Amino acid sequence: METLTHILNGFSVAMQPINLWYTFLGVFMGTIIGVLPGIGPSAGIALLIPITYGMNPTSALIMMAGIYYGAKYGGSTTAILIRTPGEAASVMTSIDGYEMAKKGRAGAALAVSAIGSFIAGTIGVIGLTLFAVPLTSMALKFGPAEYFTLMLFAMTAVSTLTGKSPAKGLIATILGLMIATIGIDLQSGQARYTMGIPEFQDGVGFVVVVVGLFAMAEVLRGLEGIYRGTSAEAMKIKGKLWLTREEWRRSIGPIWRGGIIGFVVGVLPGAGGTIASIMSYTTEKRLSKHPEEFGHGAIEGVAGPESANNSDTAGALVPLLTLGIPGGGATAVMLGAFIMYGVQPGPMLFQNRPDLVWGLINSMYIGNVMLVILNLPLIGLFVRLLYIPQGILYPMIVAISAIGAYAINGSVVDLWLILLFGVIGYIFDKVDIPVAPLVLSLVLGGMMEQSFRQAMTISGGDLKIFYGSAITVTLLVMSLISVLLPFVIPRLRALGSKGDES
Amino acid sequence: MTDRIIFVCALLLAGVYFWGTAQIPSLELGDPLGPKAFPRMLGVGLLIAAAMLLAEILRDRKKVKAGGEDSGALRWEAHDWVVLAVVAWTAIYIALFEPLGYMLATLIYLLGLTGYFNRGRHLMNGLTCVLFVAISYSAFTKLLGVNLARGIIPF
Repeated sequence: METLTHILNGFSVAMQPINLWYTFLGVFMGTIIGVLPGIGPSAGIALLIPITYGMNPTSALIMMAGIYYGAKYGGSTTAILIRTPGEAASVMTSIDGYEMAKKGRAGAALAVSAIGSFIAGTIGVIGLTLFAVPLTSMALKFGPAEYFTLMLFAMTAVSTLTGKSPAKGLIATILGLMIATIGIDLQSGQARYTMGIPEFQDGVGFVVVVVGLFAMAEVLRGLEGIYRGTSAEAMKIKGKLWLTREEWRRSIGPIWRGGIIGFVVGVLPGAGGTIASIMSYTTEKRLSKHPEEFGHGAIEGVAGPESANNSDTAGALVPLLTLGIPGGGATAVMLGAFIMYGVQPGPMLFQNRPDLVWGLINSMYIGNVMLVILNLPLIGLFVRLLYIPQGILYPMIVAISAIGAYAINGSVVDLWLILLFGVIGYIFDKVDIPVAPLVLSLVLGGMMEQSFRQAMTISGGDLKIFYGSAITVTLLVMSLISVLLPFVIPRLRALGSKGDES
Repeated sequence: MTDRIIFVCALLLAGVYFWGTAQIPSLELGDPLGPKAFPRMLGVGLLIAAAMLLAEILRDRKKVKAGGEDSGALRWEAHDWVVLAVVAWTAIYIALFEPLGYMLATLIYLLGLTGYFNRGRHLMNGLTCVLFVAISYSAFTKLLGVNLARGIIPF
């Protein structure tokens, strides 16, 4: 009953004019960020943090969540019209969406992705509303050892499931943790790895790392693309921005299934929107009576993945809000934003700040309605952004990044760090080292070390505390499985194929 | 080839990190682990990750010998010079950010990049850059209260 009251109060918070305005601003900026190449949701949120310091945390977080899920809507526009996903999770949409556009059905592809995103996004938020409370009660039993093993699981899952090589994912994770150790150690007061640079005493800010790895690196890739002549031209929208009865009939099943797949995948650490949309695409292809149409403009190939990658965002907020542990790069940045505003997500947040947490969750219902309006009647406005010459757009992204970074401390050191991490991100992309694990471990690093040291202090230095409860043992086993799985599966497949041959 | 370079870099980084960890003064009052224990674990973790990468390199080598494709070839191409030039231009921008101020440094930076990557559209580039700098400076400093370097421009 108490929870129901909190949920209803959350609606009154979300419906306050100021929060409605920030929801609109968030989803509007999210759509722009999703449409434009260069700044993704992670860098977009990170850049806004220093600029929105003085704001009320509820409004600021509502706006940032709006950017996060709004970018998924915008990403589909770029995927359909220029076959380049504006946001990584739209990669599957670019296959059939672009083929539909080539056949003069761009309007229908954009309509189904907006409607699918709306329905699935709402399914995701309902799931978040339903699962948040039970998970919160479980999380209340967590002590430092449980939190340490939970973070270990999130990191191992993200490092081995993101990218092509588990070893490289693990290297990225450890690099992030190493960067997190730079600065004054909170328990002993000792400076670590500061190299005599005063700005490093507070550590390397995650904002500059995220902006460098995501925005600056993307600028370098984009400018390289212009030089090589590989940047794509946007197609014009043809056809009505609505679906025929037949297209509706074919889309509704994939939308529902995509919504459920996306939510479940989103809750799990490491998987993320890209895997959700790939799973939805393969499911629809398997269920279809015309699998041969996939890859040649099948509407199911747009409806399913687009729905999956939108409900994934709500799913990803489940572990972030209830446990305080993000399961991927973008939610790690969201966690960073929470911490910057002095708000620690986790079970206590539901008890201490129900207005904030339910206001935030319920703003997502409203934000999804706003997004469907922005992405149907007003889509023409956003499409115009695709006609901005990229030779002008990319340099401006650097200038915006410079403003965001300089605003943090008024120090030019942060600008050098953006450039350094931009180059690192560019090289990592070339050599297939994923950056999401680095961001996740950078944000969680400080908390992970604190949990580890607190647990060891409680146990008097005895490691038994990490395998002393059912929760820690389960999480350790899951971490081990996530590390071993990428090595075991290919061997099992090889054994299977040998068995078939014999 | 690239994987072997990553492997060597990981080993070198682990070595530097262990050395850096040894430089941290130890004060372990009330904290059984002190500030060095977690970093040491990370150093060991990086060595384990490097060993995993070595296993992958050896596995891939077997595949190449069995007739697969070597995907890790490393070549320096013309577009790499362009990326390097953009990085150098950005470094100059950052170096001039405080002495010249946001407005002037950004204007020069943008004019340089747009002049090369959006060639032949001088009027469009010039107007866009001037408007962008003026609007962004006014919006961030006057409306949002963000402190940006003034440099030699007195407002």
